Amino acid sequence: MGIRRLLDNIEPHFHEGGKYQRFYALYEAVDTIFYAPGHVTGSTSHVRDGIDLKRIMITVWMCTFPAMFFGMYNVGLQANVAIADNYGALAGWREAVVMALAGGHDPGSIWGNFVLGATWFIPIYAVTFIVGGFWEVLFAIRRGHEVNEGFFVTSVLFALILPATVPLWQVALGITFGVVIGKEVFGGTGKNFLNPALTGRAFLYFAYPAQLSGDSVWVPADGYTGATALSTVAQGGIDQLMAQTPWFNAFLGFIQGSIGETSTLMILLGGLIMIWTRVASWRIILGVFLGMVATATLFNLIGSDTNPMFALPWYWHLVIGGFAFGMIFMATDPVSASMTNTGKLIFGALIGFMTVLIRVANPAFPEGIMLAILFANLFAPLIDHFIVQANIKRRQKRLMPSRDKEVA
Amino acid sequence: MASNDSIKKTLTVALSLCVVCSVVVSTAAVALRPTQQQNQELDRKTNILQVANLMVPGKSVEQQFGEITQRVVDLRSGKYVDDIDPDRFDQIASTQDPAMSRTLSGPQDRAGLGGRVENYATVYLVGDPDKPDEIILPVRGQGLWSLMLGYLALEGDGNTVVGLSFYDQGETPGLGGEVDNPRWKSLWPGKEIYPEDSTDPAIRLVKGGVGSNTPDAEHKVDALSGATLTSTGVTNLLQFWMGDEGFANYLARFRDTSQGA
Amino acid sequence: MAKTDTARGLLITPIFQNNPIALQILGICSALAVTNSMSTSLVMGLAVIAVTAFSNMFVSLIRNHMPSSIRIIIQMTIIASLVIVVDQLLRAFAYDLSKQLSVFVGLIITNCIVMGRAEAYAMQNGPVLSFLDGVGNGLGYTFILLAVGFFRELLGSGSVFGMTIMPTINNGGWYVPNGLMLLPPSAFFVIGLLIWAIRSLSPQQVETSEFRITTNTKPHTAQGSV
Repeated sequence: MGIRRLLDNIEPHFHEGGKYQRFYALYEAVDTIFYAPGHVTGSTSHVRDGIDLKRIMITVWMCTFPAMFFGMYNVGLQANVAIADNYGALAGWREAVVMALAGGHDPGSIWGNFVLGATWFIPIYAVTFIVGGFWEVLFAIRRGHEVNEGFFVTSVLFALILPATVPLWQVALGITFGVVIGKEVFGGTGKNFLNPALTGRAFLYFAYPAQLSGDSVWVPADGYTGATALSTVAQGGIDQLMAQTPWFNAFLGFIQGSIGETSTLMILLGGLIMIWTRVASWRIILGVFLGMVATATLFNLIGSDTNPMFALPWYWHLVIGGFAFGMIFMATDPVSASMTNTGKLIFGALIGFMTVLIRVANPAFPEGIMLAILFANLFAPLIDHFIVQANIKRRQKRLMPSRDKEVA
Repeated sequence: MASNDSIKKTLTVALSLCVVCSVVVSTAAVALRPTQQQNQELDRKTNILQVANLMVPGKSVEQQFGEITQRVVDLRSGKYVDDIDPDRFDQIASTQDPAMSRTLSGPQDRAGLGGRVENYATVYLVGDPDKPDEIILPVRGQGLWSLMLGYLALEGDGNTVVGLSFYDQGETPGLGGEVDNPRWKSLWPGKEIYPEDSTDPAIRLVKGGVGSNTPDAEHKVDALSGATLTSTGVTNLLQFWMGDEGFANYLARFRDTSQGA
Repeated sequence: MAKTDTARGLLITPIFQNNPIALQILGICSALAVTNSMSTSLVMGLAVIAVTAFSNMFVSLIRNHMPSSIRIIIQMTIIASLVIVVDQLLRAFAYDLSKQLSVFVGLIITNCIVMGRAEAYAMQNGPVLSFLDGVGNGLGYTFILLAVGFFRELLGSGSVFGMTIMPTINNGGWYVPNGLMLLPPSAFFVIGLLIWAIRSLSPQQVETSEFRITTNTKPHTAQGSV
């Protein structure tokens, strides 16, 4: 209980009139990481439940771990395969670490792959955490609200949807934009209408497309270029993709892509825990999935001679690109999604529909899930509004006949 | 104010305003037209001179353009046409005229010209028109977002590239928009359009860099990084305009004469 | 308001205190489209100054003879004629810039600032004051355009007025240009941040909220003492 006593001892300094009053947000953040918050609801009616924002966010954070660890392994694997194929390793401190811990570039060594991937992912995550955390704390102190674990989620999600070779200064810029413009200018967690991680990603995507998209950013090996599964389909058709990668490999995640997005299996694993603990809404996930299946099937039926993306079946849409990651972790963000139950289904379906539409019909952007979710975020309040209005109307109608009878 | 709202006053004010405004507007339009047309001409000529590397500072554009002969070519036969005045011929507008243009089938229309292409094109010859130092050809085609309009300058052999530049395009700034980048444009001089003894253009953009070891490096140019569709568009438009529907028939005459000589 | 009736006040007030873009949020559309470089911003600003000033003056000159039933049409006609004249002048004397500005000079007609000043100010005041008011509002517009153009050109192309400040990677330098800044939506962000800065400096410009947002938890309420 040493920590409790220490915290209690220093607590008065952070209260009004104390020396460090301005840094209350920091104290509160540390305190509530270790202990359950001490305050209770003041008004009469409330639901008794062990869950709170902190626990929700920590659960999401932990659910990203399978995808995160697999992502590190896969980045290393892809790089080591390329290096074994006579592409040069990228010199620098990373190479030194890999040599010291793993002793070489053997694509068969799980540990070796993992270490190599970690040397790329951990700096990205660290920069995200430090820079994003800085803004978070700055606004918390300035605005007098608390720092909360929402940022744990934003930071890990942001780090996982970047390509491994992204320059670290761009990571810093991206998370700055995501936290400040995507969230804090609207009043902080709970008041943002866009998903902050995706806002940051979208900023980077449009600002520095050369480092965020294309063929040479996914695998950290010198001079290596290889298209992502989606670009392969867009250029050469589904047959070319299947010749390169069997479906099951894509499902397991042995393909190129952003760090955390490749393994559909690992993402679904995290997703199952989130659905089981009811942290993520199954309605949104179902909506996204059904929207995607319906739209993909529709495009399959229409068919096209010139655009091979039309022929891509839904089970491929599911396993390539960032679809699974977006469906499980991004669309289910409780702040920026719809709140009503029916609304969640519609919100999800809109995402699924837009994702496939952008993937298939837009020549400029091979991937669509990021833009689709941001787009649906904008519509979430409108969807809720109509659901609530429809509810009110239905109830009024139920009231009407009885009133008519009385009049008669 | 009541008098202002009478019908008579309303009509008078409206009428006189219309007269005054239309006089002002038409005066401006008529008085400035010659200057505007001169600007357009100057702009066009500057573009042509730039692509041919003929811009010498200190000399006026008109003066330098004097070294250039304009001819109109029938794209189908590859022969010069004398009954069209090159100074007045508007090549792009002529695609709207059924007598001056023809339709293209889907696979023929590689450059994405909307299914119609003109029958006649203006070419610009530097030096002796019969044995020119450089031949400048107008090219255009669909990129990712926009129709890209430009000029391709070839050496007198009708095969070796002097330069390619686009004077009007709306591609993504920083990616496809880099077709304007001088560093990228500097990759073009010396490249060859056709393989030996063939009229099938081989010139294309390739991803991943062109080094001295690349096979057929003389026909390949580095693609714009991160701009797959703009690069494909450039390849397509060159293949189209250098192909049979474009200038292939016309350029054959230079290749023949230069081989013969 | 008395201060705004002096010539100086008419010219200066719209630049900071009552900026048409930053405070009144008018004329945003063209501010998005033409601000990717300083030179186009400047020319666009000058064009708007000219149109606003002269349309104000002409509207003011004939304001006592204007039938109220066709008031708006008359203002539109005057503005439209001026815009066409300005457009023609640009094409004749600044061809390259007018090519870059393309339709946006023509779209000054739809710029709310011009119409707004004609209706709000020129209809009530004399021609000289109206002219100055037009110049002032045009300057306010130009000021924001130049500010936005400065950031967009500097961050997007590494240059200011076409002069290279930070040589870009593609031209052999070190600066990786921010492509977003070359796309019109970035002007939204820049204008938003500018408005944030201006309103932080002079809080009286902040609008009153339409509804109250629950205040954030304060340290003294957080400890279960409610």
